[in-house]
Amino acid sequence: MADVSRRDPKMVMRLARLGSMHQSRLSFMRILTRRLARENWRFEKTAFEIDSTGVGHAVYTAHGPERSYSLIAYAHDLPPEKRSDRVIAEAWDATFTLFDGVPTDADIERLSHNIPVQEAGRVTGSELSVSRANRSVRLWEHVVSELAEGRQPSTEKIDAVGYLMRTTAVYGSGKLGAADREMIADRPEFRAPFQVEMLSVYLTRWFVTDLVQYMADTRAAANGVQAAKLDAGIARSMGIGNSTGLGMAPFLLNHPVLFNNWMAAREGAIQVVRGVEKASDAEIAVFRDVLLRNMQIVETWQSEHPIQIEKLAALRADIAKLQDYLSSADLGADHPWDALYTWAEQSLTLEGQEWIASLILEPYGELVDAFAEGMAADNTATFRIAGAMKIGDLRALLKDIYGWAIETDWATPASKARAWYVSEEKLEPRLGERFEEPIEEYEQPLAPGRDAAQLFQALAHWSDDAQVADFLLRHPEHRHVLRRVQIVGRAPYAEIRDNTISDRVLPIDMLRCKLSFFGATKFDPRSDRWVRICMYGNAPLPHELTSENADFWVFPELEGAAA
Amino acid sequence: MSHSLNEIEAMSKRAARGAGLSWGLAEEAAKGTRWLAAFGFSGAELLADLLEMNDRIPSIDVSPVSLSAEIWHAPTRRMSPLIAGASLSDCAVRLMDRGSITMENVSLPLLAVPFMGGAALRLGVPVAAEWQGARLATDGRQICVQATPEALETRHADKMVFSAPAEMTGRREPVLRAEVSEADWSRLSAFAHRTFAPATEESRLRGAGAGLSDND
Repeated sequence: MADVSRRDPKMVMRLARLGSMHQSRLSFMRILTRRLARENWRFEKTAFEIDSTGVGHAVYTAHGPERSYSLIAYAHDLPPEKRSDRVIAEAWDATFTLFDGVPTDADIERLSHNIPVQEAGRVTGSELSVSRANRSVRLWEHVVSELAEGRQPSTEKIDAVGYLMRTTAVYGSGKLGAADREMIADRPEFRAPFQVEMLSVYLTRWFVTDLVQYMADTRAAANGVQAAKLDAGIARSMGIGNSTGLGMAPFLLNHPVLFNNWMAAREGAIQVVRGVEKASDAEIAVFRDVLLRNMQIVETWQSEHPIQIEKLAALRADIAKLQDYLSSADLGADHPWDALYTWAEQSLTLEGQEWIASLILEPYGELVDAFAEGMAADNTATFRIAGAMKIGDLRALLKDIYGWAIETDWATPASKARAWYVSEEKLEPRLGERFEEPIEEYEQPLAPGRDAAQLFQALAHWSDDAQVADFLLRHPEHRHVLRRVQIVGRAPYAEIRDNTISDRVLPIDMLRCKLSFFGATKFDPRSDRWVRICMYGNAPLPHELTSENADFWVFPELEGAAA
Repeated sequence: MSHSLNEIEAMSKRAARGAGLSWGLAEEAAKGTRWLAAFGFSGAELLADLLEMNDRIPSIDVSPVSLSAEIWHAPTRRMSPLIAGASLSDCAVRLMDRGSITMENVSLPLLAVPFMGGAALRLGVPVAAEWQGARLATDGRQICVQATPEALETRHADKMVFSAPAEMTGRREPVLRAEVSEADWSRLSAFAHRTFAPATEESRLRGAGAGLSDND
């Protein structure tokens, strides 16, 4: 194994790089589909009671080796003026819960009063998630009307959107009274992060495919004709959208150990693959195949947002350079992936670098996939402050981790122009202008750089030999960030090494980082703090899932694109 | 009503912050309340009692004067179990060295107990807490309770002694759901509400960075 070290957190944990990340073998959707295929999960639709206006419920059950889980879907007839993807919405096109087991009629009845109202309802420990979705109005109507008239929908129109419905929140981990993660974390199928949510979305996509066909059939029948059956390839090409606002940014800051474990897993995988001495012909073939297939994702990736337009142009230019490089590079030579990555780091933009970093993992499931086991987190141990730590050691940690923040001039308004807060309107997380809006007193502790710099300053006159416990007794206001410094001391990828409240911060960088771990593609920012993505685009539907297609589905087959 | 432990933790953190505690102490309050709830104690009710008792008063007034004192005491003769408890957790190593730490005039002493769970995990040995009518011991994962209901709910303990290593004579496992009365939930909600910015049209339009309609 070559002497390749893990990438330095000081380089990796910058917002611009986190905001350029792409899905990989360690993405939560792919971890899930690999398991479902490996363990031969069985899927069945056990109810579809929807009326001609599209209102009713359906139940889809996934049977694993030991347990079953059911998506209960409630379909609604939503007036257009109520269609909002924001947390402050109060009605949706469809609402869902993932039920632990197979629901009885009484469960479905009980949940029919709670799931459709989402945050206004209550669920129990039998429910693992609560979620909702809205239609892509333009694509939904197009697909229904084309099918109803006996034609297949336009693949061009489908590519332009990518999904029929987008989820606007998928709540798990005890939200609204649902089961805590601790209740299910010891089940092998839920050991990796967000597997409940990913399963729920995977089944949601199946339901949406059924619903659009049903609505087309219903419309055709009303006209005395028969609708076309949606082509299986077209159905597969459509994923589930997700519309995500600021909530994901605080998540990364509020779960530092978990975030560290995700990043450390991917960084560990990159390190191991860069350490591969010789690539076999088969491995090189997988890489070249996946590369070409992955290029199609970039080609069909659309965004109207200026930031993403620029990033996409950069990525496309990077890929052109990469093809040039690969036309002469010898991947059969020693340490080909380290050479490729090193070249990328020197020659490409952050988009291209991270694209390559994820891509070189593809041929190496045996080296990479086990890192998924370390991606979950139990925070119990890291939460406690080590009060016996010497102030001198704390100061050294601060200088090492937060050197950039200590050097920042926090007196300038630009350095702290923004403040994160929670609105009383359905507790929607928001980002405001500190000097223009009356929000500062509601500020959430989401500016670790500023807080660490303040802590460093407060320690200035304390002796190196004093203990943290005595400092904290007098300065409880620094307790939050001090805990954080100690956590990052042990978990170096836990901290974003950038200013999260400056006038130039782009929250979408944090959103994209998290969504890339979900396995999302085609990031489409709607603003600096709002992004739409596609999940499970091109994935086999549950009944199509096999161990052959469980892993590389994310990359469209080359023939499919040519058609 | 049945609540998840995450709900209790999230609500407790906001409520403690709303009552004026620093974010770091609010986090301790939240973990502690969750810990108590997980063992079937009415953590949420006790926390609401404490926040009402100490609403927006300076933390320093209800904190131990010194951590090296023979007996920990607060200047107001009314020590916050959260602050004293957090300090106890910070002083886990000192607790082991000293064998015991004695505190005087602790409000709602049960709220200080979760912190010894943290200390026990750090030390790798059980820690015990005793006050009039109550002795609890924990290794951080299970607890052993010998107490009268009145002692567990008492609003004030004249004297509270933490000791390590301690013996555990019985073991109670945590449960993963908790019952919180609507009244107690509302009391915490009232504090939590203070941490939320009022709804304004400007905030609604600007703060989330998204439009209000998604009919596309």
